Amino acid sequence: MQQSHAASPASRLPILVFIAWRNIWRSPVRSILTISALASGLVMVILYAAMMEGMIRQMVHQATAISVGHLQVHRQAYIDDQDLYATLPWSYLDKIRQDIPGIQVAPRLYASGLASTAETSTGVLIKAVDPRREAEVTQMLEQVRSGTLELGRASDSKEGLPRYNLVIGAQLAKNMNLAPGSELILVTQAADGSVGNALYRIAAVLKPLEPNFDRMGVLMLIEAYQKLMYLDDGFHELAIHVDDITRLEAVQAELDAELKRLMAAQPLDELGGKPVVRNWRQLTPMVADMLEMSKMITFVVGFIVISLASMGMLNTMLMAVHERTHEFGILLAIGMKRRWLLLMVLLESLFLALVSALAGVALGAGVVSLFGERGIDLSGTLPDGYDWGGLVFEPYLQLHLAPADLLNASLLMIVITLLAALMPAWRTVRLKPAEAMR
Amino acid sequence: MAMITKSQDDDRRGGTTAAWRAGLAGLCLALLLAPLPAQAIEVQELIRHIDSLWRGNTSQATMTMTVKTRRYQRTMTMEAWSRGKDYSLVVIREPIKDRGIATLKVEDNIWNYLPKINRVTKVPSSMMSGSWMGSHFTNDDLVKDSTFEDDYTSKITFEGERDGRTVYELTSLPKPDAPVVWGKVVMLIEQKTLAPYKNVYYDEEGVLIRTMTFDQTKKIDERVIPMRLILQPEDKPDESTVIVYDDIAFGVPLEPSFFSLQSLQRRH
Repeated sequence: MQQSHAASPASRLPILVFIAWRNIWRSPVRSILTISALASGLVMVILYAAMMEGMIRQMVHQATAISVGHLQVHRQAYIDDQDLYATLPWSYLDKIRQDIPGIQVAPRLYASGLASTAETSTGVLIKAVDPRREAEVTQMLEQVRSGTLELGRASDSKEGLPRYNLVIGAQLAKNMNLAPGSELILVTQAADGSVGNALYRIAAVLKPLEPNFDRMGVLMLIEAYQKLMYLDDGFHELAIHVDDITRLEAVQAELDAELKRLMAAQPLDELGGKPVVRNWRQLTPMVADMLEMSKMITFVVGFIVISLASMGMLNTMLMAVHERTHEFGILLAIGMKRRWLLLMVLLESLFLALVSALAGVALGAGVVSLFGERGIDLSGTLPDGYDWGGLVFEPYLQLHLAPADLLNASLLMIVITLLAALMPAWRTVRLKPAEAMR
Repeated sequence: MAMITKSQDDDRRGGTTAAWRAGLAGLCLALLLAPLPAQAIEVQELIRHIDSLWRGNTSQATMTMTVKTRRYQRTMTMEAWSRGKDYSLVVIREPIKDRGIATLKVEDNIWNYLPKINRVTKVPSSMMSGSWMGSHFTNDDLVKDSTFEDDYTSKITFEGERDGRTVYELTSLPKPDAPVVWGKVVMLIEQKTLAPYKNVYYDEEGVLIRTMTFDQTKKIDERVIPMRLILQPEDKPDESTVIVYDDIAFGVPLEPSFFSLQSLQRRH
């Protein structure tokens, strides 16, 4: 007696498992239908999660690798209202490079101006970079749509006036009817208050990177910018690439400390405000918010889809329990404990869920890999990609399958189906043997 | 007979009363209406006077503009010509760096000529609110100030003593759908000389945006003209733009062809 009690849970479980497994296949058609419903629900959830993950990866890549970089430094007044004079001195750049290992830095300068051709004029955003440094931080300059990327001195104009090369955004090129080789005039208010004006030659048109640059961006060499703007003493923005991205927070803190030291050694004018270091999450809050939100959205969507699918499961188990009322009555009459009966019914649900999970994961992963690395091609309908949340996306709906997503989706399904199975299981517990056997 | 006489007499008397009544009504009407057209004419005259004060039919002026910002102070000498309210041309003489840069206004359009690159650029409507030559004036000021009469409805809202002078206060509100930037403009004009001494500009929400003061008046061709304009933006108390007319002449012979893109480029 003592022995049988001690042995009972361990020794009876395999038998229960075996019986439960056999029970499922007593009506194979019904079980397979249930499994396909659950599995397709799971496939939906997996595809959705893969799409979200793909989009987020694209967003993060766009933000960090193509335009923003991992970290950026600005003066407060530049952040607040693009104050032309809120520059960081060039000496800071060298010091930061010397003192902080494991980072690449690229200085950038900005100004607003008026771009004109013989036919048309429009307001533009002037951006100046150092191509060599920029290439170490972002792939911005590789995103060429047409022309060849060359900054620096261009051929002289017809009358022999000096010109620099410009690279412009795709939408601007379209609006102003510009192509590589065209001439463009820029007029702006230089830092000393004089009228900055110069001739340029369009060298290349960039693919859409971010809506602002695409619509009104002109990019030039820092040297050309200084000649136009008479602003030599510093730069507006320092874009930083962190070699080891896991050290992002640490590097940000180091930079903060470094800037404080530099401020103490070489004070900045008061009007421009303090230097501020921000990471890509702070710089593109939309992307960061999306990251936060997407997990929640995926969970809610998964919950709804799987809950619906598990209604099928509930129905199946209710039927299975109902048609076996007589059988359960006999089992109870010959001394089967009610909790073993409960466990058996739950095990049957668990098996259905497990088989569905395996089928769903296999199918989901299969569909994702079918679309391949590029994902779903939308270039037919959206040749220029689409912009969303301040970033421009390529016209491909990338799918990316994260193992954690697969596991979470499967677990979610198993939990929901087991919850759904509680009701039929509870019915078996409340059976009265005498009535059930009648 | 007597009856007839009486009736005739009555008739005559009745006629006199009717005439009297009509006359009285007419007088009342005249009294009622008279102040309105009289003032309306005065307002229109006043505006036209102000509008053409620095312009006349044609004008030629040399002026010095000093722009003071938090970052720099710059002084430019300029030469300006105008013909009616539709044509004007401003050419920078100094400093050397900006020498020859010209702004041509014909009706609602503005072009800049840039001698360094020998190109003319048109200022697009989207840049009209941008600064003109780095000053606190906007391109729009050049275009729109001259069409005050067309775009605003003006009223004399105060007559009497203010700031120790006898003044007219002229309040102008934009006409519905007029393409203007201001929500309200208040001008203070000295009654004796009809010279303005202060313009106050408000935005659509009624917030004070900038104040322009005028002084150093000079009598030229029977008109009293302030020779100095000080523009003070409200949000930047330490910044200002000051224009001083060194010399101004009216009735200079100038053809419309003088204000053309060709002559803009040919002059240099």
